[in-house]
Amino acid sequence: MGILTVLWEKWVEFRRDFYKITLAAMIAPLMYILVFGLGVQTISHGQSYLDFLIPGVVALTTMNGSFNAIAQNLNVQRLYEKAFDQVMISPTPLWQFIAGQIIGGSLRGVYAGSVIILLVLPIGTNLRFNGWSFLIMFLNGAVFSTIGVVVSFYAKNHADVPRFSNYVIMPMAYLCNTFFSTENMPEPLHQIISLLPLSQTSGMMRKIAGGETWSFRGIVILLVYLVIFAGAASWFLYRKKNI
Amino acid sequence: MIELKNLTKTFDRFTAVDHLNLRIETGEFFGLLGPNGAGKTTTIGMLSTLLLPSEGEVLIDGERLTRQNHRLKRKLSVITQEYSMRQDMTMDEIMEYQGKLYFMPLKTIRARSEELLEFCGLIDYRKRTVRKLSGGMKRKLMVCRALLTEPEILLLDEPTAGMDALARRQMWNLLKKLNGKNLTILLTTHYMEEAESLCDRVGLMYDGRLEETDSPRHMIEESGRYAVDLQTEEGLQSRYFHKKEDAIESLSSLNGETTLRSTTLEDVFLEKIGKHLESR
Repeated sequence: MGILTVLWEKWVEFRRDFYKITLAAMIAPLMYILVFGLGVQTISHGQSYLDFLIPGVVALTTMNGSFNAIAQNLNVQRLYEKAFDQVMISPTPLWQFIAGQIIGGSLRGVYAGSVIILLVLPIGTNLRFNGWSFLIMFLNGAVFSTIGVVVSFYAKNHADVPRFSNYVIMPMAYLCNTFFSTENMPEPLHQIISLLPLSQTSGMMRKIAGGETWSFRGIVILLVYLVIFAGAASWFLYRKKNI
Repeated sequence: MIELKNLTKTFDRFTAVDHLNLRIETGEFFGLLGPNGAGKTTTIGMLSTLLLPSEGEVLIDGERLTRQNHRLKRKLSVITQEYSMRQDMTMDEIMEYQGKLYFMPLKTIRARSEELLEFCGLIDYRKRTVRKLSGGMKRKLMVCRALLTEPEILLLDEPTAGMDALARRQMWNLLKKLNGKNLTILLTTHYMEEAESLCDRVGLMYDGRLEETDSPRHMIEESGRYAVDLQTEEGLQSRYFHKKEDAIESLSSLNGETTLRSTTLEDVFLEKIGKHLESR
């Protein structure tokens, strides 16, 4: 199965760069938690800001972990190393290659998010993370891995991936219900931002962590994103005239 | 058997390959020759499905080659002009990855990798990452990788580019041996000596069109087996003769530094394609 081949490749990469990957996943989220959560101690919506912040940071760490694991790597393989050519030439069905990238990237996101969950355990919050939390982290990772696949395919040079990160991923990290609630934003902006995948993930993670009831609408929205971007990636591999 | 039918590739307004028709028989060693920009690599690109044709099609054993035709793709191996490998993987990992992409059992991958790396003199470096290999070693690794999957058709795009003379000879011997086992080979090269030594048939490409196909020997015989070179102020000028006596007669009538030698495929290439290049 081609999916397992891609997962094996991702495992080789992960095993080799284990320390680098783990450290990279930890630094920024820990800074956010230290500075905004522990440093600037406030109350938000009647609860400790730290309780508000941690689920959002876990969600954005999942996003960054997945996107970065795929976008830059695949871009280098396609434009610089040309290693991607061998995949195209091989009999591995291309949809299996895409699926492998999505699952592999998603697992990297879940790993990064789990590291943060483990690191905040000693702080002693009242937050809960259960199977649903991990499923949502996985789905969020899948969406951003797929975006990573699409960006790396459509990128025309090496600078395009960091550029996309700057213009899309970074603003999303700050605006999508991660550091502050979007409820007080002007209505049209609030509507748009609340439809973004990270807003949905943060919202669901926060509700589960706080023991509140949550709706499956967020999961449906994540699945819609997943289908749209997987479609764009498949179009590129099957229909693009010049790869 | 490979058949290219009206194969055309255009990039915006530029036609890189122009209605190419070619048939390569099973077990044949075919060389595609041409100057830079002739369309050789684009042709290989379409044969390996990296590029989709703008017009026409590629048939393998009568079946249309597409990106979705996994059964046909299983028969192909490609050695691209550039080092198409992950730089951070070891030789062993490169081989394993390739084998897995072709759905080979792990046991077979390991046994064949060992055999091929040993054969190419790379076995002692198997734990070394690609980044740390010399250019020649990378080329050899690409050959090992291509042969790992036991292809029926091997597409080689400038396989000996950047290799030293010894490594190139070793590669030729290997390719001859493989072709002897009924492997169909399509080679593009700038080295005429390489094509002359290896290929059953060659095709001369220019501006995306196939100008002529024939066996190197027949092409040489048609031009004249004997060449007389005359060093002039404008440079080297060559004349070709079918009979040795005619060549000797010409030699004695010429003033200046002259040489009599056998005609090579390079002479044929320069005669046929050089004219186009000069008229540019």
